[in-house]
Amino acid sequence: MFDFSWNMLTYFPPGISTYSEAHDDLFRLVYWISAAIFVLVQLTLVVFIFRYRARPGHKSIYYHGNNVVEFVWTLAPTVLFAGLGLYSDEMWKVMKYSSRIPTPDMEIDVVGQAFNWHVRYPGGDGILGKRHARYRSAQNLFGIDPTDSHGKDDIVMTGEFNLPINKNVVVHLSSVDVLHSYFLPNFRIKQDAVPGSWIEVWHNGTKSGKYELACAELCGSGHYAMRAVLNMQADADFAKWMDGKITAKKAVLAAEAANPQPVAPAPAEAAAPAGEHHGSSH
Amino acid sequence: MAAVATQHDHAHVETHDESHAHDHAHHSVSFIRKYIFSTDHKTIAKQFLTTSMFFLLVGGAFALFIRWQLAYPGEPIPLVGKWLPDSLVSNGAVQPGFYTQLVTMHATIMIFFVIIPMATGAFANFCIPLMIGTDDMAMPTVNMVSFWLVPIAGLTIMSGFFVEGGTAAAGWTNYPPLSASGTGHMLWVIGVFLVGFSSILGGMNYLATTLNKRAKGMRMFDMPLTVWALFITSILQVLGTPVLASAMSLLFVDQVFHAGIFIPENLLTPNGGLYPSGANVGAGGGGQPVLWQHLFWFYSHPAVYIMIVPIMGVVSDVLATFARKAIFGYKAMVFAIMAIAFLGFVVWGHHMFLSGMSPLLGTTFMLSTIVIAVPSSIKIFNWLGTVWKGNIHFTTPNLNALGFISTFVCGGLSGVFMAIGPIDVYIHDTYFIVAHIHYVLFGGSLFGIFAGMYYWYPKMFGKMYNETLGKFHFFLTFITFNLCFFPMHMIGVGGHMRRIYDPYVYEFLKPFQPINQFITIFAIAMGFSQLILIFNLLWSLKFGRKAPRNPWRANTLEWAAPGHPGHGNFDRDITVYRGPYEFASPESKRDYLPQWIRPAHIEQETSVAEKH
Repeated sequence: MFDFSWNMLTYFPPGISTYSEAHDDLFRLVYWISAAIFVLVQLTLVVFIFRYRARPGHKSIYYHGNNVVEFVWTLAPTVLFAGLGLYSDEMWKVMKYSSRIPTPDMEIDVVGQAFNWHVRYPGGDGILGKRHARYRSAQNLFGIDPTDSHGKDDIVMTGEFNLPINKNVVVHLSSVDVLHSYFLPNFRIKQDAVPGSWIEVWHNGTKSGKYELACAELCGSGHYAMRAVLNMQADADFAKWMDGKITAKKAVLAAEAANPQPVAPAPAEAAAPAGEHHGSSH
Repeated sequence: MAAVATQHDHAHVETHDESHAHDHAHHSVSFIRKYIFSTDHKTIAKQFLTTSMFFLLVGGAFALFIRWQLAYPGEPIPLVGKWLPDSLVSNGAVQPGFYTQLVTMHATIMIFFVIIPMATGAFANFCIPLMIGTDDMAMPTVNMVSFWLVPIAGLTIMSGFFVEGGTAAAGWTNYPPLSASGTGHMLWVIGVFLVGFSSILGGMNYLATTLNKRAKGMRMFDMPLTVWALFITSILQVLGTPVLASAMSLLFVDQVFHAGIFIPENLLTPNGGLYPSGANVGAGGGGQPVLWQHLFWFYSHPAVYIMIVPIMGVVSDVLATFARKAIFGYKAMVFAIMAIAFLGFVVWGHHMFLSGMSPLLGTTFMLSTIVIAVPSSIKIFNWLGTVWKGNIHFTTPNLNALGFISTFVCGGLSGVFMAIGPIDVYIHDTYFIVAHIHYVLFGGSLFGIFAGMYYWYPKMFGKMYNETLGKFHFFLTFITFNLCFFPMHMIGVGGHMRRIYDPYVYEFLKPFQPINQFITIFAIAMGFSQLILIFNLLWSLKFGRKAPRNPWRANTLEWAAPGHPGHGNFDRDITVYRGPYEFASPESKRDYLPQWIRPAHIEQETSVAEKH
């Protein structure tokens, strides 16, 4: 046996972002308006079907319509639906307008690659290194500019990542191959990752725990398994985890410095004008 | 003067040709000309109908494979699993690659090879000339070509199953970069281009026919709503489909010549190499995948209306006939169709709320989209107004028409959710959308198509279908349909993504497996219920009662034609004296008054018409 309810509102996964409650409220509002219209129309239909069924002695009337009625039932849905649209626009602005993105406490890069999610943290210096598509390769998915020293200590993770709770996190989202979609059901946020563009998404999670990041845009046969785990941590725990990562990265960099391997930049890089570099560290 | 003379000459030549063709028709129309390369609009309608029915079975089978995998992942498909090749299944169970092909082909087939050919191919062909009282389409040969492009396109797309890498697997929306490589995607693009061509040819033919070939006395506002709906749909087809064709051409250029129109700079392929693209050659630049989405949805949103608007017309006619009552607000219905068609061209962006386009555009599209609910509501209210104080007969066509209204209300209301941007952010690409589209395209279009199929079956084949089987088919389909698709709203709200091979790799989706099994059981029941329809159609063809001229006592002109009209349709001159919905008119003793009956001879002519 399983829990089954005809009320679809009971199916939401627990909401844990600053706007998940407002989103669910808006959904509930539309749901109850729709449910009322649904019941009203279906009931009317059933009553008419029963009352005006063909039977001996029953006749239809000769009637072509009424303009006053037409006017009323044109105006009523116009007011209702346009009002609903205008009312919802505020929520849309909060989620999407770049002017409404709150001051970021933290910025990260996320790229989708069939069939994995990769996350880049700014590392010890707290600044994400500049990036550009021309530097991208299978070894450098983010296209980190090798000439930018801020990029050296950036930390890249795949499939699992951590974020602090109660912080405004701005995610710069892109893809290295096909379209993906960054979907955090518990946060009520979804955004396509489009190759060739960096799109900003923001969220602020309020509860610690493990949450799932799904890919919501068909990206190939492994699409179904393009899943990552997001650990939401209390501030102190996150700082501790991050410190560990930074220390580990420092050790790797030190080892590389002691045993240098020449990395020749690709020919195209030399010619690239500096002005085209996009960095998220503004 | 010269122009007049030329015209005269031309007319003369035509008359000559016609009499010759007439001669020909009586003596030696070969089997091939009559049944295969026919130019008779009724034969072409039947060809569209049978082709679509065939594809309906294929697309339906694909849907059941999908459902099986979602309910019982990794278990062999019953009955057919062991017959499928190892490239698609392992031990009879669907493979991930095959699954993405299935979702792609299910939607492609149902949209481009079932609903569109059924609505604008079969119904437009059959209804337009008969309902406007003429002998055939304005361009019969173009009409024939328009049909033959469909099986060619279908075979092209289906042949993808036999090429290396398999058939198209990027969803029916075929978003690049995923769709920009592979032979299967190339065949898909060619096939959709061809089927689009069929649509354009059909559309211009329907426009020309409706504008030029109406019976004497028939003004535009004397046309039945089916013809109005098909007329406006044709405008959509003629304006929208070329944009689809250009999108297909651009994608083809990307696939074959790696032009990089939709492919950005320095893109990786799945094996880690660089995508071959013109965008990599120069410094900077590169293509834009979102451009495809704009072009695609600029056609494909109107395409949603191409699939539903004709059906709204059909349902209106069926409803009026069996409620024995005039359409409530005939002109309001026409204007509502026009409004839906017009708005259909300015709302495509609501498919792209998450594409990364400017959120300001999102606001615009949100408002334009939600306004579509207004003409849709007008239509619902007018249908309710039509059955109000009617005398409703529960024949199979009418049951399907009433079923259409009931499910369309649900599909329309769930559309409001996705019109609202912030809600769409969450439910986009989930099963909520899948539920919505099936409530509109199955619950809406397909029930309407069933209504029309049963309604015109007598005129089409000259036989009556079996009413008991028809009702049985309707009730089974209606119940299983709702039990299959309604729960999809719920798992959609639960966050269940669409197009995923195995939902249960996600912890938060694991609890939904029993609901998926519930859905699958009713999907299978619904699929097999359609065998009743097919049996009824075929059995009645042979054993059905001979159809009288006007079995439903309807008013529109097709019922003036003989029981099983031959080439040329009408055995008398048709003049139109009144609108199409004069039911229960005080002018007649009967509860109907056909358009072609002369005002001075109402009783006499109607009773003569009823006798044969």
